[in-house]
Amino acid sequence: MSRAPALLLLLIAPLVPLSQERIDRLAGAFRPQEEVLYLWSGEHVKRLVPGFESLAADIYWLRTVQYFGGQRRFASDKRFELLRPLIDITTALDPRLEVAYRYGAIFLSEPPPLGAGRPEEGVLVLEKGVAALPDAWRLRQDLGFFHYLFLNDAQTASRILLEAAEVEGAAFWLRTLAADLLAKGGDREASRRMWRQMFEQAEEGIIRDNARSRLLILDSLDTADALARSVLEFERRHGRRPARLEELAAAGLWRGSLVDAANVPFGYDATRGRVLIQETSPMWRPE
Amino acid sequence: MGRGLSRALAVAANTFRETVRERVLYNLVFFAILMTLAGLLLGQLSIRQDEKILKDIGLAAMDLFGVLIAVFIGTGLVSKEIERRSLYPLLAKPLSRSEFFLGKFAGLGFTLLVNLSVMLLGLLLTLGATGRRPDVGLLTAVYPLFLGLLLVVAFAMLFSTLTSSTLAAVLTVGVVVVGRFADVIRGMREVLPGVPQQLTKALFAVVPNFANFDFKSQVAYGEAVSAGILAWVTLYAAAWTLIVLGLGLASFRSRDFQ
Repeated sequence: MSRAPALLLLLIAPLVPLSQERIDRLAGAFRPQEEVLYLWSGEHVKRLVPGFESLAADIYWLRTVQYFGGQRRFASDKRFELLRPLIDITTALDPRLEVAYRYGAIFLSEPPPLGAGRPEEGVLVLEKGVAALPDAWRLRQDLGFFHYLFLNDAQTASRILLEAAEVEGAAFWLRTLAADLLAKGGDREASRRMWRQMFEQAEEGIIRDNARSRLLILDSLDTADALARSVLEFERRHGRRPARLEELAAAGLWRGSLVDAANVPFGYDATRGRVLIQETSPMWRPE
Repeated sequence: MGRGLSRALAVAANTFRETVRERVLYNLVFFAILMTLAGLLLGQLSIRQDEKILKDIGLAAMDLFGVLIAVFIGTGLVSKEIERRSLYPLLAKPLSRSEFFLGKFAGLGFTLLVNLSVMLLGLLLTLGATGRRPDVGLLTAVYPLFLGLLLVVAFAMLFSTLTSSTLAAVLTVGVVVVGRFADVIRGMREVLPGVPQQLTKALFAVVPNFANFDFKSQVAYGEAVSAGILAWVTLYAAAWTLIVLGLGLASFRSRDFQ
C-alpha cells in the first residue's frame, strides 16, 4: 500500500469510535431490542435450516434470553410480546431443549415487572414440554408447581405432581407434597416447599435468584403475620391497637426487626390492625 | 492393479497438497475455529446450555464448512484441470482416466478428513478448556458427517464432468438441499393426497437422504449412536457414493477432450 492511502486510512479510522460514541450518547448505549420477529412459526424456521435445527434453536434460545433480559432491564412498558413466539420457535426447532420450557415458563409467568405476567401461557409452554419429553419428571413437577403457585389450582397441581412421581427417577417427596396439597388445598408452607425445590434444583442465575427472592417474600409474609398477631395481643392487653409498630417492642411483645427481607419497614394500618409489606419494597407482590 | 493403485494414490497425494495450498481452505478452517471460539463466548450468554451450544456450533461448523469445501473444491477438481489444460499432459502419461478421477476423489476425501479432524480436535480442546469433559462420543456424529461429505464430493465431481464448474456447484448445492428435505418428499402425500404413492416412493429413492448422516443433535445431547445404525449408514453412503462415482467416472471416460 502506498503512503497516501495508508495515511488516509489512519485519518479515517478514529472516526468509527468517535461516531459510535456520539450515537450512543444520543440514542443510549443499551437500547431495548426491536420488537420485530420476521418468522413467527417454528415449523417455517425449521424448514429454512435443514440439518442445522439444533444450532438454530440455540440461536433462538440466546435471543430469547437476551430479549427477556433487555426488556426487563431497559424497556419502559415491559410487554414481552415476543417472548412466547420466541420460546415456541426455540422449542419447535429443538423439542428436547428442556431449559427453554422451564425458564421460558418462569419468564412468562412471573408478574410484571419481573416477567410477562401471563402464567396461563407459562403453563401452556410447560404442557408442550411435558408432551415432548414425557420422561422429564422435573418438567411435570414444574407444571404442577405452576398450577399451584400461579393459577392457585391446588387440585390440578396435586394430580400433576402425582403423575410426576410416577416417572422413573422422580423425587420421593413429590407424592407427599401432592397429598398435602389435596388435603389442605394449599398453604404458604406448600409454596415454600415448592420454591425451595426450585431454588435447590436451579444453578446460579435468574431462576435461582427468583426462587431465593420468592422464599424471602414468604419469610417476610410470615413476619408480617407474626406482627399482626402481636398487634392483636397488644390490643387484648391494652384495650387499644398500637399507634405504631415500635410500641410492640416497647411493650415487650416483639423482639425482632420491624423491616422485611429487603430492609424496608413493614407498613401498618392502625385502624384495621393489619401489617403489610409496603408496595415500595422489592418484597411486595400483588395479592 | 498395484501400479494403478499407486498412480491413483499419487494423484490423491497431489490433490491433497493442491487443496491445502488453496487459500480458501485455510480461510474455512480459520473460520471454523473462530466459530468454535465464538461458541465459547456465546455459551456464557445462555443459561446452563454452554456445553450443548459449543457442541452444536462445532458440529454445525464442521458440517457447513465441510459441505462448502466439498462443493467448491470438488467441482473444480476435474474442470480446473480441463480449463488449465493440465489434464492433457497428465493423460498422455501412463495414467488412466479412472486412476485420475478416483485419485482426485480420494485426495479431496483425505483433505476433508484432515479438515474434520482439526475441527474436532479444536472442539474437544474448547470443551476441555471450559471445564467440560472432552466427549469422544462426538466421533459418532463426525463419522457419518464425513460419509455425507464424501457423497457430496462424488456429486460435485459427477456434475463437473457434465457441465461448467459454476453450474456444477449450483447443481451440487441443489442436490444437498433437496437431500436434506428428503423427508418432505416422503411425506408429500400428507400435504398433497392426490400424488401417487409410487411417485413419492420413486422420488424418495432417487434422492440421497442427507438426514441419514445427521446425528449432530443427538450427540450434542450426549446420547449414544448405536453401532448398528452407523453400520447401515456406512452401507447407505457406500452404495450411493459408488453409484454416483461410477456415473461420474463413466461420464469422464466417455468425454472427448479433442
